[in-house]
Amino acid sequence: MKGRNTLALRVTGLVLVAFAAAWAFTVWRAPIDATQGPIQKILYVHVPVVLGAYLGFALTALGSGLYLARREERYDRFAASAAEVGVFFATLVMITGPLWAKGTWGRWWTWDLRLTLTLLLYLIYVSYLLLRSFTEGSERAARFAAVYAIAGLAVIPLNYFAIDLAGGRTVHPENLGRGSLGAGMGAPFAWGMLTALAAFAHLLVRRLEVGALQAELDRRTLDAPPEDP
Amino acid sequence: MNALWAVLWKDLLSEWRSRDRLVAMVVFALLVVIVLYLAAPPGTGPDAHRHVPGLLWVAWCFAGILGLNRAFAVELENEALAGLALAPVERGFLFLGKAIASFVLLLAVQAASALAFALAFDLDLWPVAGRLAGVAALGAGGLCTIGTLFSAIAVRTQYREVMLPLLLLPLLVPVLLGAVRATSGLLLEGSLPWPALQLLLVTDGVFAIVSFLTFEVVLDE
Amino acid sequence: MSTLLRASGLSKRFGPRTALAPLDLEVGAGEALAVLGPNGAGKSTLLRLLAGLARPTAGSLTIGDGAPSRTAQRRAVGLVGHATFLYPTLTARENLLLAARLHGLSSPAERADRLLAEDRLEALAERRVGALSRGQAQRVAIARALIHDPALLLLDEPWTGLDPRAAERLSERLAALHRAGRTLVVVSHDLARLAGLAARALVLVRGRAAWLEGEELASETQLVAAYATRVGVLEARA
Repeated sequence: MKGRNTLALRVTGLVLVAFAAAWAFTVWRAPIDATQGPIQKILYVHVPVVLGAYLGFALTALGSGLYLARREERYDRFAASAAEVGVFFATLVMITGPLWAKGTWGRWWTWDLRLTLTLLLYLIYVSYLLLRSFTEGSERAARFAAVYAIAGLAVIPLNYFAIDLAGGRTVHPENLGRGSLGAGMGAPFAWGMLTALAAFAHLLVRRLEVGALQAELDRRTLDAPPEDP
Repeated sequence: MNALWAVLWKDLLSEWRSRDRLVAMVVFALLVVIVLYLAAPPGTGPDAHRHVPGLLWVAWCFAGILGLNRAFAVELENEALAGLALAPVERGFLFLGKAIASFVLLLAVQAASALAFALAFDLDLWPVAGRLAGVAALGAGGLCTIGTLFSAIAVRTQYREVMLPLLLLPLLVPVLLGAVRATSGLLLEGSLPWPALQLLLVTDGVFAIVSFLTFEVVLDE
Repeated sequence: MSTLLRASGLSKRFGPRTALAPLDLEVGAGEALAVLGPNGAGKSTLLRLLAGLARPTAGSLTIGDGAPSRTAQRRAVGLVGHATFLYPTLTARENLLLAARLHGLSSPAERADRLLAEDRLEALAERRVGALSRGQAQRVAIARALIHDPALLLLDEPWTGLDPRAAERLSERLAALHRAGRTLVVVSHDLARLAGLAARALVLVRGRAAWLEGEELASETQLVAAYATRVGVLEARA
């Protein structure tokens, strides 16, 4: 299987290394926040990984919808790959978020609107991956998982209203508009976002490659003539 | 529509014959009431019943999931589910028949366990019985629509009894939050909060539509 | 003889596993077709595709002259599966009533009673299916499959698990249905019983197909010999 379409892997890999270097450099040079101190620099990791997590979930829903409409295996592989990469990023969100919260708010977790929404979304996609691994037969797993991803997507706005209703006081900053970042913080933030996108693309391409190889392997194993007893 | 009534008739008739699902759900709900009472006995004073709405919905939700797990287990014997899937109808109607059957059973269980709650926690539910039944039905509607869809999925996976709550609970948050909120308003303040009812109505609608449309895909082989 | 069923390039894959390789198939109205082949050849998959239970990965399928919608397809076909599709807690009659209602028939009770009478099942009508023998349940399953008077009846291993008397009775029932003009597609390993029933046989071996007809199905001996030859040829090619 040598030399199988590694161009996309190489390109995304190189872009990732270049972006990560620029990101590391700008983060190192970024000013220390006047009120929060050095802990504020976790922003340059936390917000970019949130981007990756949500991108993963959006692409999973997209792949699932396309799979149900067209019934082509590649859309299912795309949805599954995006979900795994998304869950990886979401795990980083769940690690960096509480670290930052402890440093600035003094506690690991609050039942804030955004935190709760993200946690629920994370759990939905963990269940999505469990459903895939507990369903026998890849075609059936693809159908079931696609239905679950679509239900998961439908529940996001409902959860938003529900948690709002439950009075999730928001301590989490509403948005990070350009104005809210101090002088010298824009560059590391932007490089962080770009690095997250590059890392996402690279991991997704890598995961899709693994998926394609796995499918190829399954096909060859099954097509091989059975051995004589 | 014929298919909807046929499935509903079949489910309720076979349940009436054995009553095993209903009995299991009621007993389970009562056990949950007892365990919850022992784990969190009501205090005294004006705040004594603050947790009752939440506990009530914990009992109803668990009993509901128990019942939903059985809903499609009976369809596996003799591959009866294939018999349903052979019907020349929009499969969404088969879904509605199954969902309404589970809904009717859950309503009965809710009534029985509400009585147990009233006795255990010394609540006077009678004055709010009508409105409480409405809230219970709205919550049960959300639980039984999305629950029926994923019950049909979970029975055809490994570890099926484990799979259903794993799939369902993260999706049930809007139903549970809306229902608990509405029940709290009713039991603690004596009035129904409109936003909570809105949330329940919208959620029931969204879940019913998603399930109706995707059931075709779920029943395929 | 007009064509009742026409499939071209019909195939089914479950992920990487090919359950049925592309198959061209025509079945005439009133024909009885046998489907033979070793286990795992895709025979059951073929029936479930024809019945509209599974969605083909590729290929086209038309049954009758109806529009090729899935509901129209399910209306034209009755399936007797490996399992009976019956609810054990309901009586035979209730199971038939359910099937009649699922098919939207106008007078389900009359239709159910008529099918019970057709196979002299009246004595079993009020018995719960869970209490019936395999042979009795099989007869109810056939009545269930015929409830909507389908043009095409599909049977998957119908003689399996039956005692000799019940098996003989089933053969007679199928022969009677065939004489009455019903189109049959029967998957089975029971070459002796198929030899008397079918005029044509499809042999499936690991996704490859061959046909047996005429003299080859005249008797059990001829069928066994012809079948063995075809399987050998197909396996050598595979």
